[in-house]
Amino acid sequence: MDTSNSLVIETHNLSKVYKETQALLDLNLTVKEHSIFGFLGPNGAGKSTTIKILLGLIQPSGGQATIFGQDIQRGSVAIRKRAGYLAQEPRYYEHMTARQIIGYTARFFYRGPKDLIEARVQETLELVGLEDKADRPVRGFSGGERQRLGIAQAQVNYPDLLILDEPAASLDPMGRHDVLEVMEKLRQYTTIFYSTHILDDVQRVSDTVAILNKGRLIAEAPISELLAGDGCSAIYEITLKSEGEASLSSARDRVSGQPWVQNLSMAAEDGLFCWQVSVSDDTAAEDLLLRLIIEDRSLKVKHFGRKTYNLEEVFLEIIGKENSK
Amino acid sequence: MTVSMHSQANRDLRLSARQGLLPARGSGWLAGFGNMLAKEMGEWFRTRRWLWQILIWLTIINGFMALLLFGLPALASIMPELKPTAEAAFAGLPPEIGGVMMYFTIAVMAGTIGAIILAQDEIIQEKQSGTAAWILSKPAARPAFILTKLLSNTIGALVLIVALPGLVTLGEVFLATHQLVPMAPFLAGEGVFLLALFFYLSLVILLGVLFESRGPVLGIAFGVMFGGMVIGSLIPQINYVLPLAMDKIAQVIMLGIPMPAMLVSQLIATAVLSIVFILVALWRFQHIEL
Repeated sequence: MDTSNSLVIETHNLSKVYKETQALLDLNLTVKEHSIFGFLGPNGAGKSTTIKILLGLIQPSGGQATIFGQDIQRGSVAIRKRAGYLAQEPRYYEHMTARQIIGYTARFFYRGPKDLIEARVQETLELVGLEDKADRPVRGFSGGERQRLGIAQAQVNYPDLLILDEPAASLDPMGRHDVLEVMEKLRQYTTIFYSTHILDDVQRVSDTVAILNKGRLIAEAPISELLAGDGCSAIYEITLKSEGEASLSSARDRVSGQPWVQNLSMAAEDGLFCWQVSVSDDTAAEDLLLRLIIEDRSLKVKHFGRKTYNLEEVFLEIIGKENSK
Repeated sequence: MTVSMHSQANRDLRLSARQGLLPARGSGWLAGFGNMLAKEMGEWFRTRRWLWQILIWLTIINGFMALLLFGLPALASIMPELKPTAEAAFAGLPPEIGGVMMYFTIAVMAGTIGAIILAQDEIIQEKQSGTAAWILSKPAARPAFILTKLLSNTIGALVLIVALPGLVTLGEVFLATHQLVPMAPFLAGEGVFLLALFFYLSLVILLGVLFESRGPVLGIAFGVMFGGMVIGSLIPQINYVLPLAMDKIAQVIMLGIPMPAMLVSQLIATAVLSIVFILVALWRFQHIEL
């Protein structure tokens, strides 16, 4: 069964106003089944607000949203039966043990013989590596252990949708690695919608990304598209070897003279010339740019390619553009 | 295309059935009720809370009763100047009736204060700590959350503040007087005592929903209790609508005399107000942002 186009989350002009603050404005999101959807944005962008609205913990001021085709307000309990949620700062009853917390959570979803529920609890604790601390009160847990407990309680019901609010924020590098590994393991069973500001993590595990700033959605695309520069101006990087200054100069004039070339910068290094050509028409650049350069046979092209971005560059550029408006 | 709810539900059922687990019962406004109630009852009876509560209430209520039934007569026998005090303690009533009258006075007063203190943190703590948001991110309905808090505290109060000290009081009275207390009026009086506690529990739960800190919750609850007494003495009509003389109602029932209209009104108003508090708490909690 091909479910790759099935939508798990859909929002239409979802908005939230707190007194005079617009926390979320006309958010339109679509999250496909079995995707790992990274929800990015600076602090206060509205990420947690969105997540809480989706879970029915706060009410939207306007707009609509559906999860599994159910309206988030009318079908909230039914949605939560199929979802798992890890809060940004997960809180539990401090006197309860990890086993009790998971058992309590499990009984919101399941009934049946006690030993079967306990077996599920044990399986969940093992998944996050908390089996040796299962019978200790959570008040003594470190930040990382709390986060692992959070992931355990969020997926005790084999959720079809896992919503994680900053799942790796309070973790050390090993803890982050473990969390990302668990997310990748769970991907085959579930859709993961998570907010974060750790861009390396997003680039590693996400397939789709949305960027939120000041309550507005300013980008949503598959991560491969974002990293290819979509949403930013396309830049081609070319490394040339030239026998003489004249041929380099005439090639530069030929390229700069094209109407789709916005900018050409050049740097010399170890006898090579590195060009960065910023273009407005990607198709024209793909067709013509290399040809224009190699018209002159004395020029040797050592490298030619479209510049790929890392997520941090994309994120900063998009946010920067938005903030300068 | 949107994911089909139906096919996913079937998948869940298959997944659960494979492991012998069935989907939890309860939907709509009672979703999660059983699980939350079991947890709340566990807080009362599977921790040491019940032991502390027994010690507190037996000491306060039955300790006072023991002083009255055994201590005062014993002291009067060795200190003749205390004899008039000992004789006046039961206001000329048969000792088994007079003892129970004193029980209702002390139990309603102390029990009400205790109920307010016990319940004042129930909602506030969950809102402040974030555990309410955690629970309500699971398939748990908001009305069920409020009702389990109210029900568990009512059951806890019934067992540990009303029933157990009442039972011990019956034993104390029998030991002191060798007379049995009439059971029907005593049980009716206990019902009135429970209603008084229920009124304050409902009020405190409502205040916990409405406010974000303990100050207003305690202030308003004790304000109704003690302020009501002061205002009730200045404006007697207040006694028609606030539970300011629930101990008197229990005593009137115990004595088997006709109940004055003011007390009848107070009894009905207490029950009605308790229900109103619950309904307002349920409505308001539905709209609270967590």
